[in-house]
Amino acid sequence: MSEEGDSDTRVLVLGIGNPDRGDDGIGPLVIECLAGRLPCAVDVRVRAGDVLALIDDWTNFQSVIVVDAAASIGAPGRVHRIDALHETLPMPPLPASSHAFGLTEALALAQALGSAPAEVVVYAIEGEAFEAGAAMTPKVRAAARGVADKVATDVRQMLRPHAEAKSHA
Amino acid sequence: MATKTIKVDYLARVEGEGALDLTIADGKVTAANLRIFEPPRFFEAFLRGRGYEETPDIVARICGICPIAYQMSAVHAIEAAFGVKVEGQLRALRRLIYCGEWIESHALHIVMLHAPDFLGFADGIKMATVYGDMVRTGLALKKAGNEVLRVLGGREVHPVNVRPGGFHRLPTAAEMAGLAETLKRARDDAIALTRWVADFPFPDLEMDYEFVALRHPDEYPFNEGRIVSSRGIDIDIADYDSAFEERHLARSTALHSMTRERGAYLVGPLARYGLNFDRLPPHVQDLAKEVGLGPRCTNPFRSIIVRAIEVVFSCDEALRIIAAYERPEGAFVPLAPRAGTGFGCTEAPRGICWHRYDFEPDGTIKTARIVPPTSQNQASIESDLAAVAGTMVDALDDEIRHRCEQTIRNYDPCISCSAHFLKLTVERQ
Repeated sequence: MSEEGDSDTRVLVLGIGNPDRGDDGIGPLVIECLAGRLPCAVDVRVRAGDVLALIDDWTNFQSVIVVDAAASIGAPGRVHRIDALHETLPMPPLPASSHAFGLTEALALAQALGSAPAEVVVYAIEGEAFEAGAAMTPKVRAAARGVADKVATDVRQMLRPHAEAKSHA
Repeated sequence: MATKTIKVDYLARVEGEGALDLTIADGKVTAANLRIFEPPRFFEAFLRGRGYEETPDIVARICGICPIAYQMSAVHAIEAAFGVKVEGQLRALRRLIYCGEWIESHALHIVMLHAPDFLGFADGIKMATVYGDMVRTGLALKKAGNEVLRVLGGREVHPVNVRPGGFHRLPTAAEMAGLAETLKRARDDAIALTRWVADFPFPDLEMDYEFVALRHPDEYPFNEGRIVSSRGIDIDIADYDSAFEERHLARSTALHSMTRERGAYLVGPLARYGLNFDRLPPHVQDLAKEVGLGPRCTNPFRSIIVRAIEVVFSCDEALRIIAAYERPEGAFVPLAPRAGTGFGCTEAPRGICWHRYDFEPDGTIKTARIVPPTSQNQASIESDLAAVAGTMVDALDDEIRHRCEQTIRNYDPCISCSAHFLKLTVERQ
């Protein structure tokens, strides 16, 4: 994987979540499952919640894939693939905290500032246990490998136009 | 008798959970009560029985945006109890990391949370569609502050490099040189931000505050000084209880701090600035005068300008410290635990953060007490709300609600830190 700021880096895969809060750790777990499976032109990062710092970084990427846990709407472990620039991301039930900006706010701010990537795919995995110190539930843990496979496939497709352009250069 | 109740169930753009109940009877505000229902967090209880070495890492978890304040007050208390004084470059590095915290905390509040109130936007994201350049400036400042925390603290959130006696690791010359370049740009950004916010339309409101802040013989205060007030308090930090008391009110999970003799008092940027204007470097004083601030400011809405001035000061002070930096021989002063009591009081971005610890002979914590800034400001927030709502009792509830939320955001309150904060209810009788 490339270093931060590598000019050839075009795709960012971002796992959001806190491994010490049960199913909230699914984002980092998917990143673990991707170890050794992604080409050098992909930057992989884990964030524990406040993604405001990423707004600047996003200008360096053509495509961003985000893996994050979501509040369950009935089926813990179910995976939702959201095209975040064309579909609506769920808003948190309470207004933005002053101290931590979530993915929805960070992406909206990047769009307002004209610094959003051209492509943002969000994998939201429904969780059911988010208490501090809780273990990840089996249904959510079982989803990790499948999400990693989907992310790897997305990455290959995101990089293909770039590889083709290079081969024609 | 006409009674009206206005409720703000959850305050936006503040940290933590709280509500405001406003009661208006016969055209007068009869109650303005903050109800803090953020669950108590029991940090003082967690600390009992833990070793002194663990304290900076535990208390850093009290707040994601002002962890340095908690770490600094804790390490000063530990060192005082064990009879150690940290001086020279290690002391200077502590001021430097505090500069980073003021820059990132103030910049975020100014641009993303407070400025939208004055410019008529629902939030910083909508404001960014019109004032994109200034939002980028604010975010660049926050990033610069975070970079100071990363270099000195090991990481941006909940830093891990602070320890009793100093630091685990000292910054390299290359890291300090990199910080200096970042901070030079940040200083220019901070000056531009100050001039921008100074032109906002501010409501007329002058409050009769008792300012409370640290006062140092030479410095604008971060880590050290006596606790002083604009009405004559001038005490050692160990004597906090002689002048102040914490009261439990049923409506709040945060204790209310009052002066024993007069009640409500104010900590934070307005108090710090009003009591320490003469400690700012002359060119920062000149900038304050240029943007219309006198040596005291008692309009809480103009606190946004004072925060911006403090960001300029922090960039300047950080650059001064870096220019004078010579790597000390050791990263920390060794210390040996002993039985005793230690006090720490430092200037968090929101005001003084006071700690007291009692130690066993081996350095195990027997008891811990932490008084965060927001719990000290609750009574002043309520006074401001009564004053603001009192001037607009006949206005529509939504207008009252909006102005009250603005009034609370003047304080950049950190409810999570204090709970040990908002929903607004207005009741008209």
